[in-house]
Amino acid sequence: MKKNNCLSVMLNGILKENPVLVLILGTCPTLATTTNVFGAFGMGIATLMVLICSNILISLLRKVIPDNVRIPCYIVIIAGFVTVVQMVVHAFLPELYDMLGVYLALIVVNCIILGRAEMFASKNTVVKSALDGLGMGIGFTLALCAIATVREVLGAASFGGNAIAFLSDYKIEFLVKAPGGMVVYGLMIALVGALTHGKSPKKKEFSCAGCPSAGICHANTCAEGKEEV
Amino acid sequence: MKKSIYSIMVLVCICATVSVLLALTNSITAPIIKKNEQKNANAALLEVYPDGGSFEQMNIKSYTLPSTVTEAYSAEKGGYVIKLETSGYSSGMVIMCAVSEDGKVVGTKIIASAETPSIGGAAADKFAPALVGKEIGDIDSVDTISGATKTTAAYRSAVKDALNASVILGGGSVDIRTEEEIFNDNLDAALPRAEGKFNKHFFVEVVEGVDAIYVAENNTGAVCIIGEQFIGVDANNEVLTECSDADAQNVKNAMTTIKATTTTELDLTAYEGLPSQLISAERTETGNYIIEIKGAGYGIVGGDEYHPASGEYIYIDVSLTPDGKVIDCMTISQAETDGIGSACADEKFYGQFDGKTEETYNDIDAISGATMTTDGYKKAISRAFECVKIFEGGNV
Repeated sequence: MKKNNCLSVMLNGILKENPVLVLILGTCPTLATTTNVFGAFGMGIATLMVLICSNILISLLRKVIPDNVRIPCYIVIIAGFVTVVQMVVHAFLPELYDMLGVYLALIVVNCIILGRAEMFASKNTVVKSALDGLGMGIGFTLALCAIATVREVLGAASFGGNAIAFLSDYKIEFLVKAPGGMVVYGLMIALVGALTHGKSPKKKEFSCAGCPSAGICHANTCAEGKEEV
Repeated sequence: MKKSIYSIMVLVCICATVSVLLALTNSITAPIIKKNEQKNANAALLEVYPDGGSFEQMNIKSYTLPSTVTEAYSAEKGGYVIKLETSGYSSGMVIMCAVSEDGKVVGTKIIASAETPSIGGAAADKFAPALVGKEIGDIDSVDTISGATKTTAAYRSAVKDALNASVILGGGSVDIRTEEEIFNDNLDAALPRAEGKFNKHFFVEVVEGVDAIYVAENNTGAVCIIGEQFIGVDANNEVLTECSDADAQNVKNAMTTIKATTTTELDLTAYEGLPSQLISAERTETGNYIIEIKGAGYGIVGGDEYHPASGEYIYIDVSLTPDGKVIDCMTISQAETDGIGSACADEKFYGQFDGKTEETYNDIDAISGATMTTDGYKKAISRAFECVKIFEGGNV
């Protein structure tokens, strides 16, 4: 029973609560790094590492960190892990480092990570938090790779930097540009909405209770239409 | 109160822990990152010096190197890679040149240029391999690529600079002055009190035994050039440099002659049939003429068009004897294509007209690649001959 519960925490992040396609978080890196599948995958993995590490540490410290300084604490921890990842990528994957550029450092302000810290890790056990980080990270990576595949294959006639010869005359260059990314992103959201039809929360509720994370967040207070201050 | 102190403590602890973590990671990754960056920088150097091993950038500010040198690297296996920036047909030609320890070109490559790709660019591709293995004395014997004289000349001189620089970097010394710098240094040595500022004297009298006179701008004297000799002379015509008695006499005579000259402006309206290109004319006491005339340059149509891009003529001063022999000639201003026709402002070009007459003025060497400029210049000189004939009362 408990094992099942853990698995569902992880699977949640992949589709039902996919951070990019359902929660609509981390839009900026999603649009910026999905012009190349290799870059998108690298960005996803880097974010995954930071997510797992910060979730574990914040979950461990959840009893120690006082409520009034929790956000600064989370930010310091997240920034620390991001910098570590950045240095490691710079040292061992310089090609990826050049490709991601400033977006690697900007993982610090990726709202997925702070969101999971605030919403999940600060309220759950270490194991669950780690699994949540893993699930969310995989969900983020998959979403990025899916968007990047569409954009790169159709827009630049290549995959992971390798040219696809027979498509080279039919490039839709618009897709590589930011507006094209937005269009692909929107279509992906629609697709996921259709796939999870009936399972995803009712979108008609625009209050806190309509949030896909309401179940693990402040379920009781939401139901009364109030928010915790 | 207790609660806020606790909050501060927790935050401080977290910050300190994270800092330690970052310091640890940095101590592991920093050397790797540095090594990677060095490897990337080395890739360009290895291309011109494949056997060079690793390279270390040198501080070129602590050496006096040719001005074209922008960077220098010493190779682990000996020798240097030198980066130079020069101007070929257009500016911004960046060249890498590897030099072995015994002063031979190991490899060279243009890494950035704005040369015409099909002419200068292609020529450099052929020229670079021909330079490999050459020493400084052999560089001039490498064949110029036809059609790309400027590019190959610039390349040639850049490689010479690189070879000279490698000697200096190795602790030796080389005369890296350009021809012009040597000339200016010679002037300065002959008359230090002029503080390096001279104007070339424009001869209006026939002066025997002295090739050229450079007058100090601050009127402290002049330098007379006789063959290879630079002879300084002060404002009172006293010779300052040691030389033969005959040369000293020639210098004194020359200085006396050029100082005595007074001129009168001629009224051009008093003569008929003067060419419209004539701007002004003066006659000296001894009957010589100083004529300012304009010539047509590039874009010449029948010898009378100005430069089509700049809308400018070439302005020329020429002094002649009454019997129509050029005493001296000088370009006052021009706007010909920079690097091609602009050579008409070079003394090497206009100096050729000295001593020429109407029969012989055509025998000068044309400016390479600037036939129209040369023709326009010649036409102007021929008009100066006509003017003298009219002033002397002859018929044209």
